Amino acid sequence: MLSVDLTAMIDVVFQLIIFFMFTSQFGELRRTEIDLPREQGEDEPDKAQAAMIIDLTGDGTYLFESKPVSILEIERLAASGIASQDPSQPFDVLIRPDRNAPAVHLDRLLLRLSNVGVQRWKLATVEEGVAP
Amino acid sequence: MSNSRSKRRRASHLGALPLTSMIDVVFLLLIFFLITADFAKPENKLPAALQTEGGGVRSSDLQPQIIQISLLENRSVFTIGQVQCADRVSLEQILSQLPRDAGVAIKAEPDVPIQAVATALQAARNAGFTRRSYVPSEPSE
Repeated sequence: MLSVDLTAMIDVVFQLIIFFMFTSQFGELRRTEIDLPREQGEDEPDKAQAAMIIDLTGDGTYLFESKPVSILEIERLAASGIASQDPSQPFDVLIRPDRNAPAVHLDRLLLRLSNVGVQRWKLATVEEGVAP
Repeated sequence: MSNSRSKRRRASHLGALPLTSMIDVVFLLLIFFLITADFAKPENKLPAALQTEGGGVRSSDLQPQIIQISLLENRSVFTIGQVQCADRVSLEQILSQLPRDAGVAIKAEPDVPIQAVATALQAARNAGFTRRSYVPSEPSE
């Protein structure tokens, strides 16, 4: 009779689980450390993934995938993102700003995004008790 | 005599345990829990519409309430019409007395910290405004 080696099977199953969990959470793990505005945010957690995540540091540097980018580059990326996305789906931009950064940097960024057709954006926040 | 024989049998059973495979699985479990544990701070989101100055109100004829944020003696001040306040609770109270149909638009002066923008968005959300928009200011230069 065919016997299954249970230990080896569990071994392989766990390898697969870890592989899929790690690859699905990789984007989240690459979040840049930023002192976000301290607010409660929306009650219901937003499950929809943002189409574009832009970090804004205290000195006004824009980061895309943890790398500094110019505002023109962000505009170009947003335009190509909108062009390649299903028109029925909203193109959500998540902005993760430093809470002490002046609003002028946010305004400059949002004006550029508005130029390429972005109509909605989300501001990332962190709850008061959770913030360091 | 029989007692020592049973002890020996148990010992031989333990010796048969595949230790390498067991350590393998234990380490896998350890890695699994390390990866699944959420070490990052949970982040929340405050959604808002994007409206440009002079763009007008697209979906309604009603004019939205405007929250103007400015900096006064290094403190962020929220102004709605003639009323001013400096904290979220007061802003929430003011907003809760206003009609919600027209929505709310938020404008900030260039030197205002983004924390104040988040505070205004949060106050509008808490006051029951579903139509919230942010109006970025045109650069002065």
